[in-house]
Formats: sequence, structure tokens, C-alpha cells
Amino acid sequence: MTKSELEASGYYRIGAVGDFPERMGRLVHIGAAEIAVFKTSEGAIHALANRSPGPRGGTIVDGIVSGDVLYDPICDWRIGLADGAVRAPDRGQVAVYPVRIVDDEVYLGPVPEARPQTEA
Amino acid sequence: MQHENKRLRLVVVGNGMAGINTVEQILKLSPGAYDITVFGSEPYPNYNRIQLSYVLEKSKSIDEIILNSREWYAANGIELHTGTTVAYIDTAAKTVTTSDGAAAPYDKLIIATGSKPFMLPVAGVDKQGIVGFRDIADCETMLRAAGQYRKAAVIGGGLLGLEAAKGLLKLGMDVTVVHLMEDLMERQLDHTAALLLRQELELQGLKFAMGKKTEEFLGETRVSGLRFSDGTTLDAEFVVMAVGIKPNVELARSSGLEVNRGIVVDDLLRTSAEDVYAVGECNEHRGVCYGLVAPLFEQGAVLAKHLCGVDTVPYAGSVVSTQLKISGVEVFSAGEFMDAPDLTVVRMHDEWRRIYKKVLIRGGKVAGGVLIGDSSQSARLQQWIRTGTVMTDDIHATIMGTAVAQPGGGAAELADEEIVCGCNGVTKKMIVDVIRERDLTTVDEIKMATGATRSCGGCKPVVEQILKLTLGDKYDSAAAKKQGICDCTTLSRDEVVAAIKEKGLITSKEVRYALDWNNKEGCSKCRPALNYYLGMIWPQEHEDEKDSRFVNERMHGNIQKDGTFGVVPRMYGGVTTPEDLRLIADVAVKYNVKLVKVTGGQRLDLLGVKREDLPAIWSDLGMPSGYAYAKALRTVKTCVGSQFCRFGTKDSMGMGIVLEKKYERLDMPAKFKMAVNGCPRNCAESSTKDIGIVGNEGAWEIYVGGNGGIKARLAELLCKVRTDEELIEIVSAFTQYYRETGKYLERTSDWIERVGLEHVKAVIVEDAAGRKALADRMEAALERVREPWQEILDNPNLRDRLFGEIKVPVGGQTE
Repeated sequence: MTKSELEASGYYRIGAVGDFPERMGRLVHIGAAEIAVFKTSEGAIHALANRSPGPRGGTIVDGIVSGDVLYDPICDWRIGLADGAVRAPDRGQVAVYPVRIVDDEVYLGPVPEARPQTEA
Repeated sequence: MQHENKRLRLVVVGNGMAGINTVEQILKLSPGAYDITVFGSEPYPNYNRIQLSYVLEKSKSIDEIILNSREWYAANGIELHTGTTVAYIDTAAKTVTTSDGAAAPYDKLIIATGSKPFMLPVAGVDKQGIVGFRDIADCETMLRAAGQYRKAAVIGGGLLGLEAAKGLLKLGMDVTVVHLMEDLMERQLDHTAALLLRQELELQGLKFAMGKKTEEFLGETRVSGLRFSDGTTLDAEFVVMAVGIKPNVELARSSGLEVNRGIVVDDLLRTSAEDVYAVGECNEHRGVCYGLVAPLFEQGAVLAKHLCGVDTVPYAGSVVSTQLKISGVEVFSAGEFMDAPDLTVVRMHDEWRRIYKKVLIRGGKVAGGVLIGDSSQSARLQQWIRTGTVMTDDIHATIMGTAVAQPGGGAAELADEEIVCGCNGVTKKMIVDVIRERDLTTVDEIKMATGATRSCGGCKPVVEQILKLTLGDKYDSAAAKKQGICDCTTLSRDEVVAAIKEKGLITSKEVRYALDWNNKEGCSKCRPALNYYLGMIWPQEHEDEKDSRFVNERMHGNIQKDGTFGVVPRMYGGVTTPEDLRLIADVAVKYNVKLVKVTGGQRLDLLGVKREDLPAIWSDLGMPSGYAYAKALRTVKTCVGSQFCRFGTKDSMGMGIVLEKKYERLDMPAKFKMAVNGCPRNCAESSTKDIGIVGNEGAWEIYVGGNGGIKARLAELLCKVRTDEELIEIVSAFTQYYRETGKYLERTSDWIERVGLEHVKAVIVEDAAGRKALADRMEAALERVREPWQEILDNPNLRDRLFGEIKVPVGGQTE
């Protein structure tokens, strides 16, 4: 997809690839939605809802990133960065959002939570 | 079994390990064969009696040693009557009658009443404050006594006595072990082994009165001391009697069964009455009463098979072995242990590493052995003794530690029915079966499935060997999940630290590649740990790896459950000014903090600060970070001291501020707390700090290893010094030694238990040159620390990397 196609399908430009440090989350606000964006050592960028799936609540943006797994900083559960699925033996799911990189620009979305109004 | 519809009634008298283990085995062999009723005098379901010493030293709760929950009984259709004592067995009518008059008929009856402590029949034994150590109630009495009294005596230097004594010592009592013989555990150890054991325990703080025969207990209604046959006395406000056990035979005797020392049984555990059996410590088999756990499992296995009509080899007695469950003291003994003319002895005594090994051979076959200081080969040794294996060069090399380890080790030689985990009665076959049936690959999984290694952990090496043997080639991938600092490696803390130094590894990535981590990016356990070790070893060269810091240390605040942070500004020694207070109040209002809390460490915590506001609030405060989130010096708590207090003999506030300014910000294995007091009234609570300092007229007392947290521990006196300079040198050396030898996340309270206070004294107090060198290394490390809040404010890149947030407005272009 081109940049204009992405924007037309509800994607947001959130910065350049270099704006995201490796293995440390960056918080992105799309309207009222809080999204934690991670870049792995391999350069892949993933976007997840910034909410811990664990029983004690909290946020996940400051967790430790290892490969394609995020360690939840509150409950130490392992969350798959690509699919948001909690790895065994724990169980849970974090919402994930699509990310596209075009010409070194990072596009995120669509984020349904950011727009309560019905569109598409 | 004979009738399809009518099940036989099995009654078990005694709800302890022997009875319930037998029931468990019956349920496995033929579930549904019996309607089972269990009577127990204690008000608890079956618990692990051999772990009472853990309850005593508070490393486990009562709930944690329960082996079978009430739900288990219910799920297996067992009728359980706790707190109910059986008073009479009518062997003719085949009924049992409880002390409250209820009767229950049986087709088969198992007596498993266990044993009780033997109380010395000397004058005054009925005084208050004298107890045995056999059940949860005794344990609770001992825990209460430790809170009220200081001086304790434990009579009996055997296994049980030593475990009880160590438990009381850990609870803070001054404990003397009184023993009739000149050697401890004289029924399991020879003189050399007993002496080594005693020296080891003396280092841990136990006192001993050897060769003493107690003749009288002194005191009015409550015991106040002991008088020995040689006329000497010992003060004691609390006495534990651990001279031996006596089988509980009253029920059997009054019901007309044949009783000698124990209830007499044959090789199928049958008593003199038809359909009545006795298992465990209450019985006497071929003239022997056992007082250890392994025989009762072996007896239970035979009895269960017999009762289920399964063919069984009759019980022929047990080779008993002993393993002492005291942290830091490895003691194992089995079979023969004393030199004798008909025995050939292989002996190794390493005085430097304090290891003693002895193997006794009769007619070319292994007949017994003793291991002190290194009991890693205990399971194999016991197997060789039990089966009377012929002594070979290989066995010699294995025991004496000169052999190259072979895969699978001795596990291959273990018989299927051999009990591997004595605490939980798990056989080799049970382990092999679960590995095969459920595709298990780790010791942890085996623990979950069978209970093996769950308790004392002594059998872990053997379970690992069995796992290795069963998996064969598939084992390699599982190897990593054994005992390393985390699941990524099998290397221990010391191995990792040694390799970092030897190979000159500077970054954690280098460590993970050079030491072949199976997960090259590490995990949430090893990432922060490696970052700490590297910073400790290479204070100049290693660059802090923010991505490996736990959230609080990365963001320099305490994360809360709603994702906001707590901010604690530094307030040296807990001393502030009206101006600073006013500023803190203004900032709290400006950022709309949700709560201001005075912390346990005499600081102010501003709670509910938004993540993005952290740098701005730091900037407005203009104060250094209070490090309330870090594995570093948190606070130095002080009392008012001589500046104002009428009792103060030392300037505790002044010294507290000096210490806090000196040691703040330095990374440690775990959080670290200090306190300085101006007098022995100890208002700043030195006894629960990593370092607690108490001022006296003309001297400072330095206490170390205290902890007021999850596992409370009172600090112990390290030394006394006269001058402030000496105080600072000792604090530097102690803290640096902890930094250099502690495991990541290990508090000083656990560390000092592991390395021993006497050892720390030898290094810090007695070795002046070593102390100086440690203090110098501390200075080098301190040179590198920087104030983190200001560092982030001064470095826009770092600030952006940590705190920069991206905001995208929504709806601008669409609506």
C-alpha cells in the first residue's frame, strides 16, 4: 500500500523507524487510545494496547523485550509481540494493531478504540 | 473384592505419613476395592512430619507441608475423622471404638499410630516449658516460646535434636544442645564426622554441652535450668526433649495385640490379630523399630500390594540412611559407619574444604558410608549399600570425586521400586512413567506431576539423572531448564561471574553469546541480573543497559497498579527543611498528585504521577532521586540523636546523612536499608536493616543482615568500632563484599545465612588488608555513580528515549 492508501484506510503516521528505540517501548496516543509500540533487535515494529493482561492491572509499555516476546512488568507474563497472545503457562490476550513501514515511515492502525464514531 | 457389590471396609487408625501413604498406594493398585475410613488424633489432614523443622525455622507454613488436603480425602471417597482418637479395637467383633464412644466395623484394619518423643524420666520433667518435637502442636509451642524466652536447651544431639536446635537458633534463641555422648549423631557418624558436624554447627551459632547426663530440671513451676550428673548446671527457660522416640503402642497393647517395643509384625506387616496390620514407626519388624521415613514407604508398598491381592516380595527390613536437613550442612550416613576388624575402609578427609567421605566394605561389598560436606553421591551410595554392590574402581572414583561424570550417572542402576524422593515417597518407576506418559522434559514438570524434589530437594540430582536417562538424546534441549540463574542457561551465578571476569565480557549480549545462552536475548530474570554483575565487575567499562532494567529502575520511579508512578525525593537521613517541605507541597498541588504518603523509611512519597510528567516534576522539585524503587541504598533511617535527644550519645542524624550521601545510587544485588541510632534504645530500628548502627558512649556497634520484610530476620553484631573513620571503612568493606558475592535479588539476610556470619567477620573485621582492598574497590565504584533524574533532564536524547510519547490527534481530517 502507498502512504495515501494507508491513510485512506485509517492508518496513522506515528514517526520514522529511527524514532523507536530497540527493546524499549514507546507510548503512542491515538486520540484517547494508549498504544505501546516496540521495536525488536531485528527491527520489527509491533503495536499493542498498553494494558497488562494480568490480574493486577497496570501498563506494559515499560516491560523487558526479548526477541519477539515482551515480559509484562507487573506480572512477568510473556506476551507475544506479534500476536498479543500470552505464552503458556499463563493465558490471556492483548489487543494488537497492524503496523506498516513505507519509506522508513511507520504507520499504525486502524485503531477502533480511537474513534467511537462508526466509519468503515 | 469377593463380592461385586459389597466393598470391604478398611479402617486406618493414624492419619500420618505411614497410614496415608499406604492408602494412596492401595488407591493406585485397585481403586474402589475398599470403603476407607481414617481416624487421626491431630486436627490436621496428613502432613509431612519430616518437614516440621522447616515450619519451625519459618521457611515453610503449615499449609505448605500438608501432603493431602481435605479435598483429596473427599475426592477419593475417604471418610476422615480428624481430632479423633481410637480407644479400643475389638479384634473378635472386628470393630474400633473411639474415645467419644463411636464404633466403626472393619474387614481390614491398619494401625499407623506412629511414635512419640521419649521424655527422660528425671526429676522435674513435668515442669512447664519442657516439650518434645513431634507434631504441629509442639512446633507451635516452640514458635511461641521463641517469642517469649531467650535461652533454650535441646536435649539430644541426634538428627531431630539438631534440627530443632537449628530452628530455635534461627528464631533468635540462644541454644545449647545437651548430649549424653561425646559425639553428635553417634548412631550414624564416627568420631571424625561428628566432630566436623559439630564445628560446622558451632560456626552457625549453636552451643554444645557434650558428655552431659541430665539429672534434674530446675525451677519452680516453669523450668529455669538443667542440672547434670557432674554437678554443673545450665540456664534454660525452654527445653526441647529430643533423645529419641517411642512407638505408640498403647492402643495395640490394651486391645490384646502382641507388643514388644513396637507392635510386632511379620514380613507382610500382619500383627498377632487376624486382619489387623501395623505400618510405620509404631511397629517392630524382626526386632527393629524404625524412626525414619524411607522404611515406612517400603512397608506401605508391601502392605498395599498384600491388601490388594497383588503378588509382592515380603518386606525384609530396610537399610536406613540419614540425611540432615540443615541449611549449609550436608550430612549423609547409611549402613555401617564405624571402623571394625572385618571392614575395609576407604576414607577421604579434606580439612580445607571441610569434606569427609568414608565408604565401608565387607567381603568386597559396599556395606556402609558417611558423607559430610558433600552429599551429592548419597543416592548412589545408598543404592550400592542396599544391594550389596561389589566395590569397584569406578565406585571408588565416583565417591572420592575423581571420576568423570558419565551421562545418566547412577540412575541406570536404580531399581524401579527404589524410592528416589524420600519426603514424598516417589519411586524411580513413577518418575519414568510420568516422563514417558506426559512427555515431560524438566525437573520442575516432574515435581508438579509426582511431588519428587518438592520438599527438601535432596533428590534433585537423582531426578535429573533419571530424566536424562529416560529422554536420552532428547535431553539436551531440556538441560537448560535445570538449575542455572534462569531458564536461558545452566550456569550458576558464580560460574557466570567467573566467566565474565576470565573472558573479559563487557556487555550482556557478549555474555549470552560467549556462554551459549539458549535464548540469545535473555529473559526477565537474567537480563537485569547480568546488567548488575557486569556493572559490579567493570564499574568503568560497562555501560548501563536501560533496556535490561526493570520498569522502576528504568523510569526512576515506582510504578503503581494504574500505570502512574510514585515519586520520592531524596531526604538525607530523613531530615528536611520548611523550605523543602513547602516546595514539595507546591509541586504536589501543581501536578495534582493523588496522595502524599510518609514512607516506612522516613521519606515523602508523591503518588499518582503520570508517566509523562515525571521529568517535569523532577525538574520542579530540584532534588535528587530518593531511589525508593532501586536495588540500591534506599534510605538511612535515623533517630534524633545527640543533637536534641536527652538520651542521645552519638550524632545519629549527622552520621546518617554522611552515610546516605556516600553510598546513595550505587547498584546492589537487592534493595539495601540502613539505620543509625544515637543510643541503644534503637528508635530507628537497626535490627531490621541490612546495616544497623547503634551509638554507645565512645563506640559504634555495627549490626548486619537484618530484614523486616517477607522473611523477617534480626541483624547480628558484626563488630564495634571507636571512630567514625573505622565505621565508614567497615560499612564500605561489608557492602562491597556483599556486592561482589551476593546473587542478584539476594538480600543481605539470605546472603549472610548462605556465607555465614563468621566468614563475613573473618573477611571484614579480622583481615585488615582485605578490608582496605574492599573499601578501595568501593571508592572506585562510587566514583562512577550519577544522579539519574538530573542526568535524564540534562540529556534530551535519553529523556526522549525513555519518556518521549507520540500524540496523534484523531478526527481532524475526517469529520
